[in-house]
Amino acid sequence: MTRHSISRAALVVAVAALLEAVLSPYLTFGGISPKLAVIGVVFAVSGLRDLQAVLLGFFGGVVFDALGGGLGLFGVGALGGLLAGILSARVGTVPRKGTEVFLLAQVVAVAVAARDLIGLAAINLSGLRGPPLGEFLVTGVLPDALLNALLAYAVGGWLLEFVRGKGGT
Amino acid sequence: MGRRKSGSASGLAALFILCIVSLALFTVYVKEGDCSEHGCGPLHTVQLGAAEVLRPVRGVFAAAAGPFEGAWGAAEDVVQRGDEERLRREALKNKELAAQASRLQQENQRLLELLDGQRPSYEYGPLAHVIAPVGDQFTNRVVIDVGSADGVQPEKPVIFGNNTLVGRTTEVSRHTAEVMLVTDQMFAAGVRIVPPAEFDLPSGELSTESADGGSYGEGMLRTGWEEYLGVEYVDLSSEVEKGDFVVTSGRAGEYELLFPPGLFVGTVESVSSEDIDQFKKIVVTPAVEPQDLEEVRVITDW
Repeated sequence: MTRHSISRAALVVAVAALLEAVLSPYLTFGGISPKLAVIGVVFAVSGLRDLQAVLLGFFGGVVFDALGGGLGLFGVGALGGLLAGILSARVGTVPRKGTEVFLLAQVVAVAVAARDLIGLAAINLSGLRGPPLGEFLVTGVLPDALLNALLAYAVGGWLLEFVRGKGGT
Repeated sequence: MGRRKSGSASGLAALFILCIVSLALFTVYVKEGDCSEHGCGPLHTVQLGAAEVLRPVRGVFAAAAGPFEGAWGAAEDVVQRGDEERLRREALKNKELAAQASRLQQENQRLLELLDGQRPSYEYGPLAHVIAPVGDQFTNRVVIDVGSADGVQPEKPVIFGNNTLVGRTTEVSRHTAEVMLVTDQMFAAGVRIVPPAEFDLPSGELSTESADGGSYGEGMLRTGWEEYLGVEYVDLSSEVEKGDFVVTSGRAGEYELLFPPGLFVGTVESVSSEDIDQFKKIVVTPAVEPQDLEEVRVITDW
């Protein structure tokens, strides 16, 4: 199994969270926005152990929340990061050849959908008015997941190379 | 094998614990409320601190187009040489300076007009510049460059020009404030719909009949998830027509609302209702598009 450098993984997660918090408002189109923090977590932790992946996912999410990214509701990014981390780590244990980026792009799609739904639940739980679930699934979650998966597929190879560093295989 | 199993078990245990921690963070954050009543809680304070730290970064991204142009010009300077070229470039530079002076003059005029239109009984924060947009697909907010050091507090109206409501402050740090725009899906304001003849736009004064309520529509301004700005809960018997002005009502019965009366929000774009509807469906065109915002002011007291 390929092992990633933890320090590089942490760097990727932190930078991705920062970039999403700053750039995302410029790149939001309707219900779609780039979930760079999720992409960063998924690719950074895919070669790590479950515990490391979960901790890094949580770290990325908390950084994102602290920077006021997304909804700005603390805990939403943390929960989303956790899910992205554990999903990626679990998929990382599956043996594969040449399909790693494709597989992780699918994980990104699932993790993005999960974070969108967590966001919707958080909106409703905090007493604000959220969109109807059915409509949001079709016009928000689905295109958001697909486009982020495409973005992940485009940059995933480079991210994996960076996280593995020189010693990676 | 046993080691891998124990690794998975510790991972799942950590997942469970951190899920609880995340939910606890969310609960604490929501319970903290905003910073308007009892000061900021620890999680809001962390976000405000981060907003202060990120202010220059956001500013850099917002102004990203400018430096690109400058870098391009400098690169051209290195490549191209010769007197003729130099003179041509100097002439171009003079033209740019003249254009800049003209822009500054116009801006100065606009700022003077802003100051002239202030309502005497209101207190205003200093003129604020929009630094950058913030948030994601659920929100429509911007950060401005005034904060608590300038007397700005959360839950205060933010206006464009003399009298046009563009949003309200939410979280305020020392030198920045987040503004929830009227087109944010979480924004709400009590409004009244009046014919243009009944409302003096520059002063924000309503005619006597409109100020008393009259038969004009009253309701709640909100942006629906269908992405249009509308007025909800307007009685079917109310007189509302296309082109009417939407202005803040300021009060609802005995209750004083978040916004002073008479702030202009936009014009009625369409009015419709069907037999089964309890209320009219009113679509509003906002007076200012969020992407056009450059300078705003916060009404700090009224």
